[in-house]
Amino acid sequence: MTALTRAQARELIHGLSHWTQGYAPLPGAADELIGPDGTPRPAWARLARALGPMSPGDLARGFGSAERHIREVGISYRVHGEAADRAWPVAHLPIVIDAAEWKAIAAGVAQRARLMEALLAEIHAGGAAPDGAPPAAAIVGSPNYLRPLVGVAPPGGRHLSLYAVDIGRGPDGRWWVLNDRTQAPSGAGYALENRIVLSRVYPALMERLRVQRLAPFFAAFRDGLAALGAREDPRIGLLTPGPYSETYFEQATLARYLGLPLVEGDDLVARDGSVYVRTVSGLKRIDVLWRRVDGDYCDPLALDARSRLGVPGLVAALRAGGVAMANMPGAGAVEQPALMGFMALQCRRLLGEDPLLPNIATWWCGEPVAREEALARLETLAFADAFVPGPSTLGAELDAQGRAALAARIRTRGVDVVGQEVVRLSTTPVWRDGTLEPRPFSLRVYAAATPSGWQVMPGGFARIAERPDARAVSMGEGTLSADVWVLADAPVARVSLVPQERIRRVSGHLPSRAADNLFWLGRYLERAEATTRLVAALAAARLEGGEGGPGDETVARLEGLIRALGAVPDDEEDAESADGEGGGGREAAAVSLVAALPARDIARTALDDAAAPGSVAAAIASARRAASHLRDRLAPQAWRLVSELSPGAPAGEDEIASPADTLDRAQALLERFAAIAGLVHENMTRSDGWRLLDMGRRIERGLAACRVTGALAGAGATSGDLDALLDIVDCQITYRTRYLFGPAPAPVRDLALIDPNSPRSLAFQAERILEHVRALPALREDGLPEPPERLAATLARGLAIADAATIDAPALAAFEADLADLADAIGARYFPHGAAAERPEKLSGLA
Amino acid sequence: MIYRIRHVTTYSYEATVASARCVLRLTPRDDAGQARLFGDVRVTPDARLREETCFFGARLHHAEIDTPHRELRIEARARVRITRTPPAVPAEDPAFEDVRAAAATGTSRAPDAPVHALFPSQAVPAAPEIAAWASASLPEGTGVFAGTRDLMRRIHAEFAYAPGETDVATPAREAFRARRGVCQDFAHVMIAGLRGLGLPARYVSGYLRTIPPEGRPRLVGADATHAWVEAWCGPDLGWIGFDPTNAALVGPDHIVLAVGRDYADVSPVDGVVISSGGQSLAVSVDVVPEEEERGA
Repeated sequence: MTALTRAQARELIHGLSHWTQGYAPLPGAADELIGPDGTPRPAWARLARALGPMSPGDLARGFGSAERHIREVGISYRVHGEAADRAWPVAHLPIVIDAAEWKAIAAGVAQRARLMEALLAEIHAGGAAPDGAPPAAAIVGSPNYLRPLVGVAPPGGRHLSLYAVDIGRGPDGRWWVLNDRTQAPSGAGYALENRIVLSRVYPALMERLRVQRLAPFFAAFRDGLAALGAREDPRIGLLTPGPYSETYFEQATLARYLGLPLVEGDDLVARDGSVYVRTVSGLKRIDVLWRRVDGDYCDPLALDARSRLGVPGLVAALRAGGVAMANMPGAGAVEQPALMGFMALQCRRLLGEDPLLPNIATWWCGEPVAREEALARLETLAFADAFVPGPSTLGAELDAQGRAALAARIRTRGVDVVGQEVVRLSTTPVWRDGTLEPRPFSLRVYAAATPSGWQVMPGGFARIAERPDARAVSMGEGTLSADVWVLADAPVARVSLVPQERIRRVSGHLPSRAADNLFWLGRYLERAEATTRLVAALAAARLEGGEGGPGDETVARLEGLIRALGAVPDDEEDAESADGEGGGGREAAAVSLVAALPARDIARTALDDAAAPGSVAAAIASARRAASHLRDRLAPQAWRLVSELSPGAPAGEDEIASPADTLDRAQALLERFAAIAGLVHENMTRSDGWRLLDMGRRIERGLAACRVTGALAGAGATSGDLDALLDIVDCQITYRTRYLFGPAPAPVRDLALIDPNSPRSLAFQAERILEHVRALPALREDGLPEPPERLAATLARGLAIADAATIDAPALAAFEADLADLADAIGARYFPHGAAAERPEKLSGLA
Repeated sequence: MIYRIRHVTTYSYEATVASARCVLRLTPRDDAGQARLFGDVRVTPDARLREETCFFGARLHHAEIDTPHRELRIEARARVRITRTPPAVPAEDPAFEDVRAAAATGTSRAPDAPVHALFPSQAVPAAPEIAAWASASLPEGTGVFAGTRDLMRRIHAEFAYAPGETDVATPAREAFRARRGVCQDFAHVMIAGLRGLGLPARYVSGYLRTIPPEGRPRLVGADATHAWVEAWCGPDLGWIGFDPTNAALVGPDHIVLAVGRDYADVSPVDGVVISSGGQSLAVSVDVVPEEEERGA
């Protein structure tokens, strides 16, 4: 959505006559705004009348607010093959449909959903095919037909809990089914987001027009999911392929909206016919999974062994009835175009009803009669794969050679091909450069199986083609989406998803994978901040001390420390080795005094060079990756702050930046970190998740405290070193109020390490971690402390009796090793596969 | 003929494996051509074993192992009586076009129905170049049996048997391009060729009795698993076994373990382990005719 100028807004609301002026529907296609009689359809007339009283300012403000919402919430989608998300393109105007027309559509969609369920039940019952059943090849050819599911009674009693169908209005004015979606329909969450966006643009208008609400549909869908579970108050999860899925944002939106945890295959364990979530409180049984992972990827044991997204043993659990799924794996076996030509017949056979909603005429070329017809109409039909969704080929657009190849393919393997009637989709007005233009669209409508039958979402997910001649519309580059307003005849009750429930103060069990990601989000954020503090200190030291001055030693120590953290690429470590600095790994605490001045700007490299694992840029990228797995748990504002973190553009292309520029950038970045820390501190519920995030931060901060103290407050530290250390640990003011003399090693060490009141001291971190592990759930039944608690307590006790005057390098190394052990113990106790976070590995081989 | 079969699979891991979930397809099939007299699978370390019959009729075991281990040993033993004889050349050999039409239009989805072997599958995706090559064996009006046998013989004649050059994951197209491979590759190539022409073809895993050279004793453990093809030759002839590795029709020396669309449906051991290190695999197979055993 692009913001509207006031002038444009004025035009938009100038009234119906202005709208229709110069708006010309395309010849040969129906139009939503202008009916078949050449006058505006009544629903659109109502919209235009209602827009009338809006002032141009209101409208422009509305569009601005919608834009902000899209940006803030980060509504996005991913085009297959692209690494980055795209911002969401939503049209300024909704598509408007009146109640009577919608009623007919909804009845047709509900009927088709019933038909799909009946067909799925017959296919999966596994008996002999009855008379009149579709050819086996039209079913079995689907890659979504899953043989291990044949003969498995679906727990909860249904294969299909959510059905979606793409419909379009043909030139005759009727709505036609273009595609069925029974596998794991997507887009309902985008419909929800589009509604939220447009309600910001037209807040009062929606009420005045009696636009039917979407919330009751989602509430009914959730009830339907709950009804699948065998237990009272079942635990329901949304099984996602993860953040690299094209529709992950949508899944996170739906999970948040419906109050379901987002789980990945790794979160789940199938054992003895049941499925459990790995949580920090141990394994917790899950009753219902809403599946967004493709059916054949659900279980690498029973289904596609290549899958890394599934749960080994899930199908066995389904067979045992220990878990229910929506939709069942295998439900995708009825969505292929090959079946379309048989649907009217199947509707009469299985439901005893005539279809209310026709689908576009389809010839499956596995059948000799249909094949010959399709071959005879090669020049007028569109041809598509019978089973795999993809673009179709227009026979008319093929040359003689192309047609011969197509005909040969149909004759050899007609089972793979369908011919389909070419439908010119109806157009809807879109706002283009200050005028309205007709663009074709298709509409995805959703039906949910609920305890009281199929319910159809009043509205849907519309996709509008960028070009006027598009036949089929997919969400890709240059495609708009639009909200769909179904107008009610009577006033609409205000319902939103606010169920009446008893008060709870616990947030459910934290999944181990979320614990893992929260902990590492905390660590990476803190690591990025710690390195930025060093960069700031280095730039400041450069700025203050001239060449050859007393500050040189501090500069060298800081540079050595930054190198030791791995914040500069490996190729520069040669110089370090030449100086006798062994290894130079991230864990090294001791730093050589004599680091040769590098040709490159260490401070700037440590900020910007993502190739160095210890750089600020790399830590930020890692933090973002961890956060991307947590989108259902992070507040939109927190996600935005993390996703927008960046060291900022360097001032120039020079290898060496001015220390002042680097200092400015580092300080700007520190403010962003402070904003995130503030958000976490002030706005995050003190749940187990917060504790994990905070523990990650504390571990990393503790490690940093050991390292900077070792480098800057060891034997032979200069007053410049100590001063830099006080800056890094933010203790200048405290120090000055406590001591009259300038920085001395022992008092500085005390503040940086041992003083439990100093929020950057090691002791402070140890005490917070001890509080966290004590508050987190325990698995032991004997009440004895678990390993993380024992280690945290040992560390805290050691610091409580430590003396700053005598702390030397070996003592520091021991504290650092204790912290590393504590981090490992936390990983082993709370994360899915322990500290090493190993991935399942395939066991195979021609045996 | 009665065979005793011992099939031992051993995985050795570099690092300790905390848990493993496996599917074992190591129990010979019980069907019209062979009777399973005995079948047993043992897993070390101790596993929770659950038996199940898969869609295509193979008996399989699910194994759940939660004991930490460095070695996983799976030993399968079976005793099978083979009653199958090689098919005679059919008197009536239907034109392959009619077989193709029958496969496409049937309504049966029963496990033995040809339709399951008609479409591309995980290890045998569509390969137009293989179909084009196969079509030389099946010009218009050819009998399906004659054409399929010709295709089998061409694979045997034109492909080099080259153990060790391919592995279980080698795509059919690659083996086809190189004209080299082992039984699995030949079976996949033949399946791709037949399916590409619209004819149902499926994959059979099993064992082949090996006959030691004259005067030499049989070497223990030296046998191997084998793979061949079943082609559907119309409703009257049904499924007929073709062994492209040996250019032979399947007879009493072949013992069927499992049938499926391709190797992925029948791989003897499949599973996932949680481990951080590498693994190595050793397999030993003995297929001993009972008379020979008695004589020894």
